[in-house]
Amino acid sequence: MVEERYKRLYEKIAQALRETPKRAALYRAMKRGRDSRQRAIGALPGGEAFRDEVRAIKLRCQDAQDSLVERFAAKARQRGASVFLAEDGAAAIRYVLAVAEACGAKSVAKSKSLTSEEIEINHPLESAGMDVIETDLGELIIQKAHEKPFHLVFPAVHKTVAEVAEIFRRETGEEIPADVDAIMKAVRRYLRPIFLNADIGMTGANVGIAENGAIVVETNEGNARLVSSIPDVHICIMGREKVVATVEDALQMMMAHPLSAVGQSLTTYVTLMAGRSPLGEGDGPRQSHLIILDNGRTRMRKDPLFQDALHCIRCGACMNICPTYGVVGGHTFGYIYPGPIGIPWTAEVHGLEKAGDFAPLCISCGLCKEICPAEIDIPMMIAAVKDRDAETHPQPRVNRVMMAAEPFAKFACATAPLSNWMLRNRAVRWMMEKTLGIDRRRTLPPFSRPALVQRMARRGLSTVRNPRRRVAFFADLFANYNAPDLGMAAVQALEALGCEVVMPRQLGCGYQYIAYGNLKAARRVAEENVRCLAPCVNEGYDVVAMEPTATYCLRLSYPKLLDQRKEAAAVSGKTFELFEYLGMLEQSVEVPPSLRGRRVGFHISCHQRPLGGGRHAMEYLRRRGAEVEVIETGTCCGMGGTFGLKTGLLGYDLAQAVGEPLFDAFRQSAVEVIVTESSVCTIQLKEGTGLPVRHPLELLQNNL
Amino acid sequence: MDESVLAQFKQKYESLAGVVHLVSGVEEAAEVVASVLDGAEARRVALGEFPETLREVLRQRCAALGLEMVQPPYRSADLPAAIDAAQVGVSPAEFAIAETGTLVEFATDDALRLVSTLPRVHVGVVRAVDLVATLRDAAGRVRTFYQQNPKHATVTFISGPSRTGDIEMRLTLGVHGPESAHAVVIR
Repeated sequence: MVEERYKRLYEKIAQALRETPKRAALYRAMKRGRDSRQRAIGALPGGEAFRDEVRAIKLRCQDAQDSLVERFAAKARQRGASVFLAEDGAAAIRYVLAVAEACGAKSVAKSKSLTSEEIEINHPLESAGMDVIETDLGELIIQKAHEKPFHLVFPAVHKTVAEVAEIFRRETGEEIPADVDAIMKAVRRYLRPIFLNADIGMTGANVGIAENGAIVVETNEGNARLVSSIPDVHICIMGREKVVATVEDALQMMMAHPLSAVGQSLTTYVTLMAGRSPLGEGDGPRQSHLIILDNGRTRMRKDPLFQDALHCIRCGACMNICPTYGVVGGHTFGYIYPGPIGIPWTAEVHGLEKAGDFAPLCISCGLCKEICPAEIDIPMMIAAVKDRDAETHPQPRVNRVMMAAEPFAKFACATAPLSNWMLRNRAVRWMMEKTLGIDRRRTLPPFSRPALVQRMARRGLSTVRNPRRRVAFFADLFANYNAPDLGMAAVQALEALGCEVVMPRQLGCGYQYIAYGNLKAARRVAEENVRCLAPCVNEGYDVVAMEPTATYCLRLSYPKLLDQRKEAAAVSGKTFELFEYLGMLEQSVEVPPSLRGRRVGFHISCHQRPLGGGRHAMEYLRRRGAEVEVIETGTCCGMGGTFGLKTGLLGYDLAQAVGEPLFDAFRQSAVEVIVTESSVCTIQLKEGTGLPVRHPLELLQNNL
Repeated sequence: MDESVLAQFKQKYESLAGVVHLVSGVEEAAEVVASVLDGAEARRVALGEFPETLREVLRQRCAALGLEMVQPPYRSADLPAAIDAAQVGVSPAEFAIAETGTLVEFATDDALRLVSTLPRVHVGVVRAVDLVATLRDAAGRVRTFYQQNPKHATVTFISGPSRTGDIEMRLTLGVHGPESAHAVVIR
């Protein structure tokens, strides 16, 4: 039986897939965001290093958070602001209502504030008889359309010019043509009296500065300037995690936020406000209220798996790169906080249940972590949300099937070629789709007997004398059970460069457990692999892994899963990508230009991004004379490990929708063959493009 | 005065749809302001809090053009309407940042902030010696300003005209604030 929440999710995905123009607009917007960011970072003196600085500031300020908040509040009070520390949303709302009542307010002009949306303040204000007007254009469109933001930074990115014109025609009664400039002029006319006459101006804050008690508010439109200067009462609602120590810290945040969001160097207006200034001479007393909101943040800070989420600077970059968000958008992929970071934030401030409603959309490509300006390990947090959620909502059967990939592969390998015949049989595949949930349209790679581990055992000890290096080979499922010849080719390539190669006892990397959220099982696999590999590392072996996801696990996921345990760190420090290792050994070796004249399109697997982005394999091919071009959209191919093997909307269908632009890019390029190191991306690209897809070693062997 | 910093400021500010005018002194600065006022068909101008010489030159210019002027001391009772009625706001910038194409405004009266926000056209005037290269270089001046003003104080970084991309991500200027922004840099 399909659970109610999955039914709702399927409906939303199906609808998003049907709305082709909206999808195209969303895709363009996301791509533009990440491309502009990439260009701007390319032009930055330190490049990606700004992320390390942001992270360092956030770590330092999070450690000292209680004292910084205290200092910030004291300084702000000294400057004349009223400061209220709100335990939760209800307390913040009560405070605002009391302020409004005391000053007899009839209207509230707001500039964009996610924190005010988090506590859903508009409704109680309206119920108390006030007019509440959003003045950020995107938020205003959303408010008038009675929707929730579609994206953190571009809330109305899904609305066309015509739709927006219609919204304002309805609102103003004016005849507004479907033209951006005309709409803008009408909006200016509509909002100006609101700015001039509002009783309360409400903003959020991007940063609070403990050193001087000032808040920092960033906008491009300038609406925050108006709502914080004209009304007699200014209320700012900010999360307590926004407080940093110094002006220098604040400047770094001011830079990082727009850079990461859209590749802009500063937003057009950045205002640092402390206390409340008069408006002209002879002005009566004016009020400034700072509401510093907790609403789960203190609890979050104490949770080792979630505390890093407090480093979020709300730039929206994780949304711009998330493959499935880019198809379905924030109304499906989000509650109030949308996108990847929205999953842990929703879990913490709006509850696990709401986060679990959209967490299955995460396909664990890990790209959100690679783009995050604060280097937040969002994928691991999402895994934890899925894991905790599974206690009350058991995993769907297909997810349990996918998590059983290892015993399945082992069995299919042992029973090949019969298993292969079955996997090709249409009736069997139909049955597999109905009972297991594996899409019958997928061409599954055949299994090959004996497995690599058996071949290596039969071969006995390495025959390389006086080895230069000693290598413990990590195969993962595909090379072990499906492509032992390829695994053997890797072993031989290492041996040819003077390595002694052993294949210690090992399990598959187990990433599927992280992907679907069974952290207990993920830890068990991590523990077992570390237990098998750590002794080798102690004896001076290096670990060389073939599959990008396996390298990613050994290097990055295991230490985290095993709480940075010494052995896990040791294995991590000695783990290499196959071509990284071959490249090191090859440095002084002359290689024949066996690939001269070959034009290949390289596909970077997502998990390879933090491992050098495919650089090592590309250099390996280029040294052999191949012309290698990276073909990419900047996001995932859609496969997401085993996600794309699953049938239906939360699987094959969504994977195809994600993959389409990349398939087009490959087809439009003049490459004759696609090269990738990932076994699962291979399946997706072969089917999606119709082009041949090869592992770099296959390219060398067959020279096809 | 580092010419490369000046060139970087000009390049960056203009890439943000602003216009940079390099002038040799206050007289020429007033000249530029007058031509902007003329171009904007201004009838009323809002002036910020300028140092004395510049203030006098600008006042004379605006008076000669027959413009209504809103200027310090601003009467609270007239605000914000008096500034809202101006077509052009002219105000000094404390310093400017080349790397980001930014004018930095210091204010302890919110009326000054309105001069650079409400009118359709804003002219910021800055001395070339007050140009710094990077955003980081702003830290010291900002800190000092807050130390010197222990009560209310506002610092605004302004990089070009008011902009939005909220409709189909198409860049549009002047949605709430100025649609055109000028930086007059006095050598």
